[in-house]
Amino acid sequence: MTEYAKFPITGGEDDLALIELVLAGDHRAFEPLVRKHERRVFRVVLAVLGNVEDAEDAMQDTFVKAFRHLDQFRRDSRFTTWLTRIAVNEALQKRQARKNSVSLQESPEVESKSLPGRFEPWTSNPEKLYGKQEIRQLVERAIQALPPIYRETLVLRDIEEMSAEEAAGVLGITVPALKSRLLRARLLLRESLSVHFEERRQLSTRILDSAKQVGNMMRAGLTRSAGR
Amino acid sequence: MAMLSCKEVLAHVSDYIDEEGSAELRRALEDHISWCRRCRVVFDTTGKALKIVLDVEPFEVPLAVSARLYTRLEKVLSES
Repeated sequence: MTEYAKFPITGGEDDLALIELVLAGDHRAFEPLVRKHERRVFRVVLAVLGNVEDAEDAMQDTFVKAFRHLDQFRRDSRFTTWLTRIAVNEALQKRQARKNSVSLQESPEVESKSLPGRFEPWTSNPEKLYGKQEIRQLVERAIQALPPIYRETLVLRDIEEMSAEEAAGVLGITVPALKSRLLRARLLLRESLSVHFEERRQLSTRILDSAKQVGNMMRAGLTRSAGR
Repeated sequence: MAMLSCKEVLAHVSDYIDEEGSAELRRALEDHISWCRRCRVVFDTTGKALKIVLDVEPFEVPLAVSARLYTRLEKVLSES
């Protein structure tokens, strides 16, 4: 599969041109489509399943299914959305088939954990503390540690940059449910990364800031009482 | 809009980042974080977290995983 190695890979128009070639019988044109979307599909199935072994199976099955059903792709939607829907379905089926499947309900325990507990500002230059590769590992670990329903939501919205409507449609949930999960996912991620990126400040500065906070709260309350 | 509590403000972090919600809500949120340091830190660092996530492009496909994908596809494509 090297004939199309130099095919330009940019936007959705290239997808359509390649799809037409595949449907016309030039199966080699499927390769650049795979190359372009491989990482996205891997990230999505990994987010749903949580481990590389299962994600590999789901990724292979996704592309095989996409190839065999390419004639069912409707041109009125984006190819990425269509492919991501197949990927999520493949991964969800695998997850459901697992024995001792993890609970996928939102639990009160997770809800309370997603409430912010760290309130220190972050350093403005995390690159000064860690190398890029190290930051990537910290981010990957933080995402992998999220409960599955929050992890998959975060990956679709904040990494694959799908709209709330697209992501909700792909996951088979309502937009309000998606937004609720996304809020918790983002707050949990922030909490987890805070451990690494918070500014190291002296205790005296922290105490001073807390005193200022109390003063600000009292002033804001008094201003509003006076205005009523 | 009535004064928002910290809990109410934190329930809208996502909406604020995604630039959703009414102008009135946005003003109320900005007013709150102008004097509440804790909520301001949460808003600021949540935005920073998402920027870092995008910047580092997490989760590359391992080379061996990618190679096995192409091997399987090669077979499927040649049989079709």
